[in-house]
Amino acid sequence: MSEKNSVIMEVKNINLRFGGVIAIQDVSFNIFEGEIRAIIGPNGAGKSSMLNVINGFYHPQEGEVWFNGEKRPSMEPYQIAKTGIARTFQNIALFKGMTTIENVMTGRQLKMNKNFFWQMLRYGPAIDEEVQHRRRCEEIIDFLEINHIRKTPVGSLPYGLQKRVELARALAMDPKILLLDEPMAGMNVEEKQDMSRFIIDVNEEFGTTIALIEHDMAVVMDLADRVVVLDYGKLLADGTPAEVQSNQAVIDAYLGVPH
Amino acid sequence: MFYRETGQFKSKYKEELAAFPLAEDKVGIIILLVIAYVFIPIFGIPGLPFEFTMGAIMIPVFIFTITTLGLNILLGFAGQISLGTGAFMGVGAYSCYKIMTIFPDLNIIICVILSGLVTAVVGMIFGLPSLKIKGFYLIVATLAAQFFLEWAFIRVAWLYNYNDSGGIEGTNKEMFGLIVSGPQSDALTRYFIVLTLLVLLTWLASNVIRGRIGRSWMMIRDMDIAAELIGVRPLTAKLSAFAFSSFYIGISGALMVFFWLGAAEVESFDVSHSFTYLFMVIIGGLGSITGSYMGAALVWVIPVLIKEIGKTVFGFDAFIMENFSIIFLGVAIVVILIVEPHGLARLWQITKQKLRLWPFPY
Repeated sequence: MSEKNSVIMEVKNINLRFGGVIAIQDVSFNIFEGEIRAIIGPNGAGKSSMLNVINGFYHPQEGEVWFNGEKRPSMEPYQIAKTGIARTFQNIALFKGMTTIENVMTGRQLKMNKNFFWQMLRYGPAIDEEVQHRRRCEEIIDFLEINHIRKTPVGSLPYGLQKRVELARALAMDPKILLLDEPMAGMNVEEKQDMSRFIIDVNEEFGTTIALIEHDMAVVMDLADRVVVLDYGKLLADGTPAEVQSNQAVIDAYLGVPH
Repeated sequence: MFYRETGQFKSKYKEELAAFPLAEDKVGIIILLVIAYVFIPIFGIPGLPFEFTMGAIMIPVFIFTITTLGLNILLGFAGQISLGTGAFMGVGAYSCYKIMTIFPDLNIIICVILSGLVTAVVGMIFGLPSLKIKGFYLIVATLAAQFFLEWAFIRVAWLYNYNDSGGIEGTNKEMFGLIVSGPQSDALTRYFIVLTLLVLLTWLASNVIRGRIGRSWMMIRDMDIAAELIGVRPLTAKLSAFAFSSFYIGISGALMVFFWLGAAEVESFDVSHSFTYLFMVIIGGLGSITGSYMGAALVWVIPVLIKEIGKTVFGFDAFIMENFSIIFLGVAIVVILIVEPHGLARLWQITKQKLRLWPFPY
């Protein structure tokens, strides 16, 4: 939580439409380096769409994304992954046919570059590279306490662990910004506590900037340094958890107001 | 009891990343290699005539294992389906024939490998639709490749040097003073060449699959959107899978004509063969190298054995046995897929898993 005030990512006046449906309307906010930034809002508020814009899966019709102090040109998702943005998914998107360690190793994909020739021989540079990245993956697996399932195919794991493997895979990318799309959806209290602990640990130990979407307000208020509230694709409020909690527009959106 | 990792400690990642981390596996593979390189060449398969063993069982099984490996890379590891396997084998065979005509003095092994490279390029071109379409639609696109290539093998007379038969035929080729290919070559020589190529290609495939590139294929197979967000470029991953897979299929096609059949026409590469190779992959097990071996062996050997037994033991007409073997194979496929939809490789996996705990149930 150091250097709270250097902006690592900024979205400016994002407009995203799907045909006639307006998903995001003129939303701007920024993310400081090393903070935990929460994006909240009722269902259909455009939270996931916002993450999709940030990691390049959607291309907004208008608006700019600034990353590391530069305006980002229109890029494909795999190029954006290279710039250091990792994410997890609302519906788990693990590689079901692979084991936990293989899934985590996929996160290192971009850092590996030995060519086909060495890969075929699996000798010399290729195996050195493999070992070096395996070491880092084992550190992350250790960190997230999933050692015991290292060689289990992820398809057969319980939900909570799958979420954790997905976090491990994203962490293996050594991201500058980690986008978490509902990391605690569908978990029981205990699993939520674990996950919260891991998110704080990641933030503090690796210094990773985190942007997360979450519906559990207690969790959001505890974890987040600052909160963005979206509703119907519009920015409703932006500030510290305390500020947002006392914002009348937010209370109206969540509790409803008589019309 | 005999097969378990308990007590086999690894202190380096490199040891764990080895091809066969378990001592039992190492011993097993050495035994298999000794059988293939020493036992079978000397004794053949007990109870079967030697020429028959080589010409009708071992050599074709090895060649089709290379095909199955290739198709399995595409289908089982990269998740891209193809029904053009037969035609791609044809590309390998015809291009090997052309290379041999253009450079008559070139070593035949080099010709075979070059024809694999030609097939890789052709496979990549016909793999381009996979960038936009998936599943059933991709099947149709690769089927188009099958029909187009078959057409080319008939209509483009340049491919078979304008000869009257319309087929391609191997001539005697020497290597180190031995005739290795063509009508006068010895079955045993061809056996060793095909076996060595198979071992080499298996080793290369298992290396690629366990490394960065293999993982990128499996990522595309399992969840293409997540793969892209992690940084896999679909274009590179898919086309490299098509190329690598076609390389294997092309080599197997060239081997089939010049190390087994001796001559071939377009019928050897038609769509029904494509289906046979697909059977081999599915019965063996998608995404498994061991499965490729088992699938190719089962689908090829069962009909051959049935035909042979029916002919020699019961004295049935060859034509009846031909039909009977097709029926039997069909039933076998259905039964295996009901018992274990993931193929023989999974059965083998389960056996190994059981052996770890044997004699205890859990």
